[in-house]
Amino acid sequence: MKENWRLMDLMTSDCYTQMAIDEAMAYARGMGHSQNTIRLYRWKPSAVSVGYFQSVDDEVDLDACKKLGVDVIRRISGGGAVFHDYEGEITYSLVTPESDPKIPSDISESYELICRGIIEGMRLLGLKAEFKPINDILVGGRKISGNAQTRRYGSVLQHGTILVDFDAKTMFTVLRVSKEKISDKMIKQAEERVTTVRRELERKVDFKEVRDALVSGFETELDIQLAPGTLSEEENELVQKFKKRYASSEWVFKR
Amino acid sequence: MGRAELKVPGGKLLRVSTTVREGRIQDIKITGDFFLHPEDSIDDLESRLQGIRAEEDEVSSTVKRFFDSHQITVLGATPKDFAAVVLKSFSSA
Repeated sequence: MKENWRLMDLMTSDCYTQMAIDEAMAYARGMGHSQNTIRLYRWKPSAVSVGYFQSVDDEVDLDACKKLGVDVIRRISGGGAVFHDYEGEITYSLVTPESDPKIPSDISESYELICRGIIEGMRLLGLKAEFKPINDILVGGRKISGNAQTRRYGSVLQHGTILVDFDAKTMFTVLRVSKEKISDKMIKQAEERVTTVRRELERKVDFKEVRDALVSGFETELDIQLAPGTLSEEENELVQKFKKRYASSEWVFKR
Repeated sequence: MGRAELKVPGGKLLRVSTTVREGRIQDIKITGDFFLHPEDSIDDLESRLQGIRAEEDEVSSTVKRFFDSHQITVLGATPKDFAAVVLKSFSSA
């Protein structure tokens, strides 16, 4: 019998809610109050998330974000700054207890295992993807997915993005990539390092198709059955509580 | 204020800013896109470095003691990288 995990299906919300849900799921799972979960989501409005250890001032052009209506948030996971474009990516999160026998206790190994679900999803779409340590997935040598993991509350929380479309110009406008002006050359270089599902498949793949592939990919690689679920009352209360912290400037500008 | 960064080959970026006064680290901030578990242990690393003499032996041994003292996992950089970038920040002041 395959293990049943909860699927929180492709949902759209603002960045504060999304990060609060991920943390609430990790908290409740650590308390033993919920199931292992895979969640798929999109960010609306589009947002920049910075890693736990990053300086917002170093990484983000706050004026540009304001002008474009792009939110800014700090994650509880390490890693780099990401532009979460509503039209350009699907984000997933996965939550299990740290003691789950399916998840290696070694963090690097667990990245690789969880990323296999995405790689299988890419395969189902017709793409040959590979894991690149520490936390990336590449197609044709170009990055298509970035991932970040934290372990807290006795849980493993891994979240990451799958690029469906790439708006390099907006990305460079909201992220402080360097002191140089945004040049055609920079955009070209980024397009050489990064790729997307649509670019690789050379067609307008919709979000539902990527969602389906990811769900099947995780089911196959983790040997699980995903069944649609919702947040518990406890999780919903935690979301409200965590959301306030995520939206506070004290948290966003913590480092 | 001194500031330095190190892109670890095959790893992540470390950035350090330090204020040194009378030969001691008065203030230090370590940022970057590395992974350190548990995340909030970064506060402990910074506070251990605060107040020590701004020289190689003390920085290296303080950083080493921090990484030995907890159940720390670091990805994308080594303890030596952390020490190296802290030292580099002194000479940029």
